Amino acid sequence: MSTEILVISEFVSTALALVLVYFFSKAYKATGFAYLLGLPIGFSFLALSYILLGASLPYEGGGTIQEVLIWSRLIARSYGFAFIAFTYFFSSKTERATKRFLGIISFFSATLLLFVFGFMVITPPLELPSTAAVDEGFTIANLVFLGYAIYSVVRRLELSKEPIAGLWAPTAFFLLVLNQYSSLIWEIDGSQTSFVLAHCFRIASLLLFIRVYESAGRAKH
Amino acid sequence: LKPEKRGKIQIYSDILEAFYKNVNGNELSLTRISHTTNLPYDRFKKYLDELVQLGMVSRQNENLAVTEKGLEYVEWNRKTATFLRRMGLVP
Repeated sequence: MSTEILVISEFVSTALALVLVYFFSKAYKATGFAYLLGLPIGFSFLALSYILLGASLPYEGGGTIQEVLIWSRLIARSYGFAFIAFTYFFSSKTERATKRFLGIISFFSATLLLFVFGFMVITPPLELPSTAAVDEGFTIANLVFLGYAIYSVVRRLELSKEPIAGLWAPTAFFLLVLNQYSSLIWEIDGSQTSFVLAHCFRIASLLLFIRVYESAGRAKH
Repeated sequence: LKPEKRGKIQIYSDILEAFYKNVNGNELSLTRISHTTNLPYDRFKKYLDELVQLGMVSRQNENLAVTEKGLEYVEWNRKTATFLRRMGLVP
């Protein structure tokens, strides 16, 4: 895949993720449930990870700048999936748990700031482990987060009421799993097919989430 | 488990729905409506006044009715509820 196509793919993914941030923010505003904040925050982190991947492409030869961008991307991506999983975890908890969730958001944000600070000031980036060495670990963690999200959605499926529309959200999450799995294969063997598939699965997944929102607006009540 | 605390927007929607179902066409007391929405009467009255100010409930003499704006608001909230249900975020 040429760099131009990859940059376009990252741009499209970022735009789609930001549309979802807007939709999920509206849902949070409508209900006022604090745990729902996890979704716009999660998809914002995912959008950031796509921007960082796109920004790292021109520096493909390696070096400090690319390492910093890829490290930041790995963290942003895992944060994104973690926030999505936390949203599902706290969706069945009480008000007290919701406040705890807000505490976790604050803790995670502070940790992220410390990481970024460490990258920029304290630890020279080249002394950190190579991103190639940790990439697989991050991806496996992402698969665990997504697995939990799918388990949570499937548990609440009401297929008798909505046989088709009810399947869109779990399918969208499953496409994200395929995206991460293809990324993992690509990280292991460098297969170009896996890399292309990872991008296709990601865009299809984001489009399907948008479809869930759009179709809810047209559903009969 | 304690249910999740409702936000103001959800409370507005609950009051409007209860009002539309119970008052439009029927003569039910405000006390009864406040029970339907699980709100103490004083808080219910406060929210009802806010809804009148926002133009979602009209008050002519002593008659109260949900306006077109109020119905649009309820519809918007239902869409959000459908979206959250399909996302597996509400039981």
